[in-house]
Amino acid sequence: MDFRKLLEENEFVYLDGGMGTTFLDLGIETGEIPELLNLTSPEVLEKIHGMFIDAGSMILYSNTFGANRYKLEDTGYTVDEVIGAGVANLKNAIRKSGKEAYAALDVGPLGRLMEPGGDLSFEEAYDVFAEIIRAGKDADLIVIETMTDLSEMRAALLAAKENSDKPVMCTMSFELNGRTFTGCSCSAMALSLTALGADAIGVNCSLGPAELVPIVEEISHWTHLPLVAKANAGLPDPVTGRYNVMAEDFAETAVKFADLGVKILGGCCGTSPAYIAALKELLKDRKFKAREEEVTGGAIIPTAVCSVSKTVVIDQPRIIGERINPTGKKRFKEALVNNDINYILGQAIEQVNAGADILDVNVGLPDIDEKAMMVRTVKALQGVTDLPLQLDSTIPEVLEAALRVYNGKPIVNSVNGEEESLQKILPIVKKYGACVLGLTLDKNGIPATVEERFAIAQRILDRATAIGIPKRDVFIDCLTMTASTEQAAAMVTINSVHRVKHELGLKTALGVSNISFGLPNRELITSSFLQICLANGLDLPIINPNIAVISGAVRAYKVLANIDKDSREYIAAYNTATPQAAPPPSNALEATPEGLMYAVQSGLKQDGARITEKLLETTDAMKIIDEVLIPALDKTGADFEKGTIFLPQLILSAGVAQAAFEVIKSKMPNDGEKVSKGKVVLATVKGDIHDIGKNIVKVLLENYGYDVIDLGRDVEYEAVVEAATPEDVKLVGLSALMTTTLKSMEETIKLVKERRPDIKVVVGGAVLTPEFAEKIGADFYSRDAKQTVDIARIVYSE
Amino acid sequence: MNFMIKLEKIDREQALRYMSYKGGNMTDTAAAYIEECEKLLLDVIRPVFVYRVFRIKQFYPLVLENGLVFDGNDISAHLEGCEYAAVFAVTIGAESDQLIRRLQVGDMAKSMITDALASAAAEQAADLAEEEIKKSLPGKHFTWRYSPGYGDLSLDVQPKVLKMLNAGKQAGIILHSDNMMSPMKSVTAFIGVSESEIAQKRKSCAECRLNEDCQLRRKGLHCGFQKTT
Repeated sequence: MDFRKLLEENEFVYLDGGMGTTFLDLGIETGEIPELLNLTSPEVLEKIHGMFIDAGSMILYSNTFGANRYKLEDTGYTVDEVIGAGVANLKNAIRKSGKEAYAALDVGPLGRLMEPGGDLSFEEAYDVFAEIIRAGKDADLIVIETMTDLSEMRAALLAAKENSDKPVMCTMSFELNGRTFTGCSCSAMALSLTALGADAIGVNCSLGPAELVPIVEEISHWTHLPLVAKANAGLPDPVTGRYNVMAEDFAETAVKFADLGVKILGGCCGTSPAYIAALKELLKDRKFKAREEEVTGGAIIPTAVCSVSKTVVIDQPRIIGERINPTGKKRFKEALVNNDINYILGQAIEQVNAGADILDVNVGLPDIDEKAMMVRTVKALQGVTDLPLQLDSTIPEVLEAALRVYNGKPIVNSVNGEEESLQKILPIVKKYGACVLGLTLDKNGIPATVEERFAIAQRILDRATAIGIPKRDVFIDCLTMTASTEQAAAMVTINSVHRVKHELGLKTALGVSNISFGLPNRELITSSFLQICLANGLDLPIINPNIAVISGAVRAYKVLANIDKDSREYIAAYNTATPQAAPPPSNALEATPEGLMYAVQSGLKQDGARITEKLLETTDAMKIIDEVLIPALDKTGADFEKGTIFLPQLILSAGVAQAAFEVIKSKMPNDGEKVSKGKVVLATVKGDIHDIGKNIVKVLLENYGYDVIDLGRDVEYEAVVEAATPEDVKLVGLSALMTTTLKSMEETIKLVKERRPDIKVVVGGAVLTPEFAEKIGADFYSRDAKQTVDIARIVYSE
Repeated sequence: MNFMIKLEKIDREQALRYMSYKGGNMTDTAAAYIEECEKLLLDVIRPVFVYRVFRIKQFYPLVLENGLVFDGNDISAHLEGCEYAAVFAVTIGAESDQLIRRLQVGDMAKSMITDALASAAAEQAADLAEEEIKKSLPGKHFTWRYSPGYGDLSLDVQPKVLKMLNAGKQAGIILHSDNMMSPMKSVTAFIGVSESEIAQKRKSCAECRLNEDCQLRRKGLHCGFQKTT
């Protein structure tokens, strides 16, 4: 079908109404899975579709909302059969009516929770949706509706785009607060789905038309695409289950959507054919008025990137945190090699707290599978921070893999003026609708003059817009050289930024830290350079936000440039009157073993780290560990067992010890192994995704100096066996929360013991008892994290 | 569509019970953490509930007007004498789960504290939902609320309960494969509704599914006779 033509030739395009309501009106028993009616009672579906066609619906949804492989599992029917029949019934109804109407394959949520909260991976969701899309090949278009999880919506949209060439409409369900149940905002929804190539976007279900009007209005500012609105007939009555807004009132309110520039209108729960007819009647003499966003092709929409819940508009300098990058960082490289995702997440959190607006993510290292690591890191980061990401790699396949799973609109770092780069990177950027960072270099290297750098920027822009990347999504990095070796280059960079910003009208980014390399008092040079760049039009400084003076330079600039109105952000950042979590002043504790002991017991993390650093100047690391940290932890552990302190306090103390250990490790980088008391493998068993208990155990073990190999949750048997194979691993800890997963615990133990009969296994979790632990072959039962540490000591002292 | 509930503060006493606090001294740091976590949590929670009132057709087993059957004697015994069952699902929203998970990275203590505060918040939300439902049915008499997992009312009924409330669409509550709810801090329950006065049954651990397996009981505590799962 020609979707554009349909929209152009009609003032408004009408959808259908609520399928469930119409079943109810006709007195049809739908059973557990209404989609099976497609096969058992095709005449009913034809009748219902026919009623909506008669009422004026031009696009009708097939009865396939829940027809996915999970819901059909025990029905004896396949996805192909149920969807095939659903689309066929609809097409028959259209044919019999003799009217011009189109059959939309209706795709609803899968009813399962996506990662990181749940166990459904993006990749699996994609496969399930792809199967649905292929089964609906006879439909004229595809509609993905009632989604509340942006990640699931993206998986479905991507599956639709890659497995068919039909137009795709996408609608999500929002609550009164302007977010979906999983926290997706209107702007993030609109930016992300526009980026990924939907043909029309909007809202359906959840609320009545009156409540959805402001939500549609918000969405309308963030997309140039045609808008869709399919509201409920108000609210259901808890006693009768019936909706409370009648057809005429519904239509009168829904007309407000037309005022907002909505082209495609229909109804959801509680709306019968009469509602559609009423709506059509009210709008019959109205002319559609396109929004300015639509008319300008999006040119008036601000440049923005987003995660699922946070949209960052690039209308002022925004800090891109550069710390998730192994270049020149031994500890980071170690983390990549050891798959230590938590270290990387820690780097993210630190930058978030320091005021970063966007995080750059680079996990490139020879000898690791960069693609797998990138996907894993992006997924994990999305679970712990809402900052938008800048995906940073030189390898197109790595970037594409990251773009698939990134839940929002990111920046791609980077493309450059070289032909190969332009050819490989730009099509990926276009496909996933990302913003892209273009570096002003090409096969001849980094040009020495402003003119040449400007010319490359121009070339990148031309090539990007030629394949349909909007101009506002192209950012340019004019590249920083080191002032100590190429002093003249600093002004070249600054002037290039100025010209790109003001002549090309593009947003500019710049990694600034390089400037001061090799000079004393680096921070002074870096922050001075940064200030000059900002004054010349730098929008996206790529910096280490943890250095106060550097992120401070951005904040100060925003005050002086009259961007930070009333200096609000500046005051919020530096007003020390704000109460802090750790009350006593840092210098109250002396840098003595007693001071450290007190810091651990009182949960004073910063003091713990500071004192440890000081003590290391005079005291041997092992001495600090054995004579201060461990005894301090033992004391809190004993207090916990006596019940005089409670679990959060024990964990707080452990946190201080952890900070102290980190200091010790960083001070003796080549000696890192020596401070380890032994290796412990931890896993939450296959089938179980409840891992907070295991994570508590991990923190405590690490703070007692053990190296923990954390396999995560829902861990395959074989992965545990493999991790437990090296001879120096003497203890495996397994946790399970659910009775249903105790079986996999037993199985895991069996396989581990087959491979390593000498290894000890400790188990814990809400449903376990000492008796049961023994029965399934565990060596130890542990009732809490503290006892697990005691067990580790026994095992490693043997 | 669902009903929103406003929570101004979190029941500290209940939350501390979930943290296994048995009195004794608390460091300033721990107290400040609790303060901070409560703020973080109140900022992200968005308690909503959905409910439906069904006529009861039969007891032993319980059969509702929509034809749904609930096996087990305890739920029938609990509702016996009532003409209606009000069934509800309440949640404090998915963002509290996200917050708890987020805090695990930087600060496990904060994550644990927030987890306990969120459990308490879910109980409070259930209390308030119950109040609202009772207000919507003036002149009626009610039993206390009874949740899947209590007595012999198995957690296996969760798919049925959430489906009949359309809780996925209406409140964003869906199930993991093991019948645990997501958002984690959610509660489903039945309240008996009667035209005439009903004898109240006593709340106790004996009614609870967890009974001997209960983590709190093992530590000599109790949950206030309400259980989130």
